[in-house]
Amino acid sequence: MKNRMTRRTMLGLTAAGAALALTACGGNVGGGSNESSSFPSGPVTMTVGQAPGGSTDLIARAAAEGMADSLGTSMPVVNKPGANGALATKEVAAMEPDGQNLVLLNASLITITPLAVSEDEAVSLDDLDVLMGLSQDDYVMVASTASGVKNLDDIKNSKKKLSFGTTGVGTGSQLAQELLLAQADIEGTTVPFDSGSPALTAVMGDQVQVSTVQLGEAKPQIDAGAVTPIVVFSKERNEFLPDVPTAIESGYEVPVSQYRAIAAPKGLSDDVKEKLVASIKDATATDTYKSFNEKNLLSAHEISGEEVVSEWTELAATYKKLTEEHGISLTGK
Amino acid sequence: MEFFGPVLDGFNVVLDPTNLLYCLLGVAVGMLIGVLPGLGPAATIAILLPMTYGVEPVTAIIMLAGIFYGAQYGGTITSVLLRLPGEASSVVTVFDGYVMAKQGRAGAALGIAAIGSFIGATISIIGLTFLAPLVARFALDFGPPEYTALAMLGILLVATISGGTKIKAIIAAAVGLFLATIGRDGFTGAERFTFGNLSLADGIDFVPIAMGLFGVGEILYNLEERHRAATAPVKVSNVWPKGKDIKEASGAIGRGSVLGFFLGILPGGGATIASLASYATEKKTAKDPSRFGKGAIEGVAGPESANNAAATSSFIPLLTLGIPANATMAIIFGALLIQGVTPGPQLINNDPQLFWGVVNSMYIGNILLLIMSIPLIGIFVRILRVRAAILAPITALITMLGAYTIRNSMFDVLLVVFFGAIGYLMKKFGFEPGPLVLAFVLGSLLESNLRRSLLVLEGDPMGFFTRPISATLLVLFIVVAVWPIVKGVIDKRKNSSLAASVAEEKLKENA
Repeated sequence: MKNRMTRRTMLGLTAAGAALALTACGGNVGGGSNESSSFPSGPVTMTVGQAPGGSTDLIARAAAEGMADSLGTSMPVVNKPGANGALATKEVAAMEPDGQNLVLLNASLITITPLAVSEDEAVSLDDLDVLMGLSQDDYVMVASTASGVKNLDDIKNSKKKLSFGTTGVGTGSQLAQELLLAQADIEGTTVPFDSGSPALTAVMGDQVQVSTVQLGEAKPQIDAGAVTPIVVFSKERNEFLPDVPTAIESGYEVPVSQYRAIAAPKGLSDDVKEKLVASIKDATATDTYKSFNEKNLLSAHEISGEEVVSEWTELAATYKKLTEEHGISLTGK
Repeated sequence: MEFFGPVLDGFNVVLDPTNLLYCLLGVAVGMLIGVLPGLGPAATIAILLPMTYGVEPVTAIIMLAGIFYGAQYGGTITSVLLRLPGEASSVVTVFDGYVMAKQGRAGAALGIAAIGSFIGATISIIGLTFLAPLVARFALDFGPPEYTALAMLGILLVATISGGTKIKAIIAAAVGLFLATIGRDGFTGAERFTFGNLSLADGIDFVPIAMGLFGVGEILYNLEERHRAATAPVKVSNVWPKGKDIKEASGAIGRGSVLGFFLGILPGGGATIASLASYATEKKTAKDPSRFGKGAIEGVAGPESANNAAATSSFIPLLTLGIPANATMAIIFGALLIQGVTPGPQLINNDPQLFWGVVNSMYIGNILLLIMSIPLIGIFVRILRVRAAILAPITALITMLGAYTIRNSMFDVLLVVFFGAIGYLMKKFGFEPGPLVLAFVLGSLLESNLRRSLLVLEGDPMGFFTRPISATLLVLFIVVAVWPIVKGVIDKRKNSSLAASVAEEKLKENA
């Protein structure tokens, strides 16, 4: 008797599991044969090359929410972290260009990562149709309060050799900081951390005296007076930190920001592309999305796909030129 | 009174029916996802985040926090019953928990884990209530040299706590350290042992290794065993720990809770090291250390109290300094920002309702978890009555699903199969997977922090000894390493002098 009970329970569990698996896959409701006229023919998947919960992931989810409403279909966000997003991007680039699969791109993957990894690992924009740019995320250099450093001159004149934290190898944080240190002729030890949070924590505890991290992460600590902002690396002053000078206005050529855009596999039909771009425009126009940007300290940078391609290509060339000019290697060799 | 006013107001916040409901929802979801290895609290919270946009900040965070600590309860269940540790901090629970389950004492193991978890978490919340601002600084004082020393101590403990022969434990740990080096070098960007495969660029995740070595390895081994001799199905008696069990475990729960509270404050790896340190402490202080690995109840009670205490105290850096201590805390940090609340030193003064509401909800949440655990344990232990022919494929399915959900990648599923085969061979040749998995987790902590320390210290290793915390930890390291040798010498002397005196007595008698 007892045995049968158990078996029934287990059967029930298995059935529930199967149901769950089915829901997770999501049936392609109303799939049509004529793809361009019937787009979207089911859920449109947005792949993210970063782990859930990070800023890239949050941006993807915020955009997907509005796009789903506009397209009238569901838009699941799937995280496939690996190799700074190269894994996810290469996977999506190889898919059918029917508009059902999109990827959220980080500019650093195209513009900065190639400076740190081998050629066959680098991702090229040639395999993608970039639909639209989304936003700009700035880097800020912060110093520990214990170090007494208040501005760039203090760093230059420091008698003690300082250490400088970055958020990792091949990141915008590393590139921006290395370029500034080289141009300002500052000697210091660069210490890579695994991500922004430990790099910031290390500054708060004065384990390293200076770190360059993304603004969204540093802002609460700047507001609390736990760290001192030194410079931002955007071309113009950041709207959320209007009193902090840019590296450029201090006389250094360091135009480094993180940009994000949405892309699809190369070869979309014009029809589908138009529909997708329109849905991104609808999504970015909603109040929910705008307030999302504001709360995450992201500046809107909603440019067309063509502009994204030319901007990022140009940046990649600039970074390559600057690193060569100043003899900087991101790999510490 | 000035201090207690806001604290008591916090209880008013929690006892609001909506908040209670969300707390219940959070811990229930947490417990469920805790049972599924792979789908961790971090991913769950990220997915459920949009649901919280519409509710009050305090309600949202109460629910998200509930998911996090609820998952710690759930994780124990698969560790004990199926030998599937979903997180690094529950690996040591497997050592004695799974053996207890095989002895028919699964109920006692799960019961004591639930009680220990409850007490550990509660002690930690009390600590959080009264000590948070004082101990928060501890998290900042831990720089790369301190983490290096802590990781070294942890790896040494791994080698000493294993049940099998010491040399085999060290071999397994060395393999674990090697596996930790796979992936892109975090300092130079160079690829190490990736064979040009992008899926290996970030290294191997903990879950495929643990699921393969522990779970699949065990299934394969059992299948082979079944062909040799028909094993009687496990009798599941005493569904609840006896008075004797609780008495035996009470010391371990107390020590584990305190260890967990302090180590949990450290960002990165705190909970794992806490559970490890707790197990090592229990084994070292036990009258009969040989019971460990053979179903010692303290071996479950201590680490489970420790990892739950650590989970709770990991809120301290977030709420008082604005530092997220782990991936889940980072997402809760994001959730707070989206709600317009900035976690940090100002939080407790600017938003006392939220601070104390969330802290006090943990008291309630843990009581809810304990109440839910009691009937659930009764149901879950029946899994052991299921025939292996049915249970094995279900376990395999859970492990594969768990590995897949980490990053939606089939590559990780293949890794589980690969490590399953390794796990089978290890078991056949008498190697324990525990040291390998734990050394793997601590290996990357050690490597990156050692290299980071040497950068900060400008290559001067003496710097480790001039910093008070790292010096203390290194002295502790030396003591733990040398003590067994010293003890061996002392024991030998004692024995030989004893033997000598016995011989003398005999001589006298004869004379």
